[in-house]
Amino acid sequence: MIYFVMLMLMCFIIGLVGVASNPSPYFAAFGLVMSAAIGCGLLASHGTSFLSFVLFLIYLGGMLVVFVYSAALTAEPYPESWLDWPVLVNVMMYLLGVGVGVYYFFGEWNMMHWMGVDELNNFSLWRGDLSGTSLMYSDGIMLLFLAGWVLLLTLFVVLELIRGLGRGALRVV
Amino acid sequence: MNPLTLSIFIMSLGLGTTITFSSSHWLLAWMGLEINTLAITPLMIKQQHPRAVEATTKYFLTQAAASALLLFASMTNAWMTGQWSILEMENMTAITLITLALALKLGVAPMHFWLPEVLQGLDLKTGLILSTWQKLAPFIILIQMAPALNPNIMISLAIISTLIGGWGGLNQTQLRKILAYSSIAHLGWMIIILHYSPNIAMLNLVLYLVITSTIFLLFNLTNSTTINSISMTTTKNPIISILIMMTLLSLGGLPPLTGFMPKWLILQELAYQELFLVATIMAMTTLLSLFFYLRLTYSTTLTMTPNSMNMMSSWLTKKNLKPIIPLLFPLTTMLLPLTPMLYFSLQ
Amino acid sequence: MTPMHFTFTSAFILSLLGLTIHRTSLLSALLCLEGMMLTLYIALTLWSVENSSSAYLMSPLILLAFSACEACTGLSLLIATTRTHGNNHLQNLNLLQC
Repeated sequence: MIYFVMLMLMCFIIGLVGVASNPSPYFAAFGLVMSAAIGCGLLASHGTSFLSFVLFLIYLGGMLVVFVYSAALTAEPYPESWLDWPVLVNVMMYLLGVGVGVYYFFGEWNMMHWMGVDELNNFSLWRGDLSGTSLMYSDGIMLLFLAGWVLLLTLFVVLELIRGLGRGALRVV
Repeated sequence: MNPLTLSIFIMSLGLGTTITFSSSHWLLAWMGLEINTLAITPLMIKQQHPRAVEATTKYFLTQAAASALLLFASMTNAWMTGQWSILEMENMTAITLITLALALKLGVAPMHFWLPEVLQGLDLKTGLILSTWQKLAPFIILIQMAPALNPNIMISLAIISTLIGGWGGLNQTQLRKILAYSSIAHLGWMIIILHYSPNIAMLNLVLYLVITSTIFLLFNLTNSTTINSISMTTTKNPIISILIMMTLLSLGGLPPLTGFMPKWLILQELAYQELFLVATIMAMTTLLSLFFYLRLTYSTTLTMTPNSMNMMSSWLTKKNLKPIIPLLFPLTTMLLPLTPMLYFSLQ
Repeated sequence: MTPMHFTFTSAFILSLLGLTIHRTSLLSALLCLEGMMLTLYIALTLWSVENSSSAYLMSPLILLAFSACEACTGLSLLIATTRTHGNNHLQNLNLLQC
């Protein structure tokens, strides 16, 4: 299991290197999708299956779909993938940087540091993350209200931002 | 814009700053900063011309990156020490990262490059909100963690800010860019004293807010955005030109006016801390700022009509004097005799 | 420093560097911001798990709501920029330079 988690951590970093190395937006969106999926696996391997599920549904299913859609709208005729030279140089540079970091910190790593949130499962019917997130409806109700207010605010912000000067098309022709 | 929508944005601006003021937990402080950023974007883009859109985009990208960096740094602190409290920061990496993130939010040099461009794209009222109200929330976080800050980083940020603020403003003819550079220089004065005496920094912030509000409101009253158009003020309204001159000199910190008070107190405090070289450098760099304030007053007031002007006469839009200006102007110019009261009430 | 901590620190720094150093289009800058938020979500969850403080497990959900708001605002700014400037390249945002 530990080696599997290490593999996931490595793939997570590689996915974000793919985002950061400035390819065309389609490929960057693909790297982000890969990282988000691996992030779900990471969270599930720690026992927080509910948060992993939320990440999958909301982040991957809701937000990234919109990003991929926008990437398709702003399409370029000659997209740059990771195999083109300028991007490949960035990828190599970033991977080298991460490798130097691993080499620098490798001596201090304690590999066996592993813990789940389910220590209390002898006494409880619920997983730890479920009981934790359900606190949002009792003790953290003000935070819930605040998040709801921000979502309402964002609705108005988006409506005002895309108002434009009365022209309806996405592109200026 | 619909008044209902506008009221939602204004309320959210107040809500964000209030949450950041009243929180001692990093997550809540971050939430307040995010609400602030989200609520000001529609006010900035209100005119919808390309310059406003560009300014909004630049502002949004820098602020979003800065608040993400802030949350990341506080999370690093939590991983290292298990603490989420703003008041008890211990990890040096996290403190440095948070200082840099807040400097990016405030527009302190060397993270200042967005500020003149963003301010140039806005109208003067939104510019007033951006350079006064939006500075409050990040600065309050800095004041809360003032004892933990690294003095060397603060001194270098401050000296770079005052230098950049002075040199950058010398090159400009646009009033909003000049005001942006003046904001950078004043922020340098505030953060140099932050570690040694947070009270004086707070006093400096309040006085800076008052003086900047006055100058923005006066420029808005005369519709002036360049040095050329400010030179028409005397023909439009001679009293306003006198007010502009006094306010500019107070912003530059000349002695009988209010703006001299924070500089005096800061130099005294730096001398108590035996930072004589730093105090000298700060006092010299403020001459750079004073030069361009004086140039503005020269073209506003000291060249009296009738003389040959470089500008066509603009349409006189009749604007009434806002009742806030007579309130703010005495505070802008005549607070210096109250220095002992303000100083000792802060101790 | 555990492998977890190293992973999300380096992932965040990578996204921040990508946002800061080289961006050609606004959409990829927004994708980098999303990468930062994804890293923060995972790091917040893992912090609460490793410290077994289950009350903090609601903070990732709040973070997710705020990052969704930020992504919405970013995408609508993308649309506004495309309308006024013609495309979404960041080099075109040069009307206000000194």
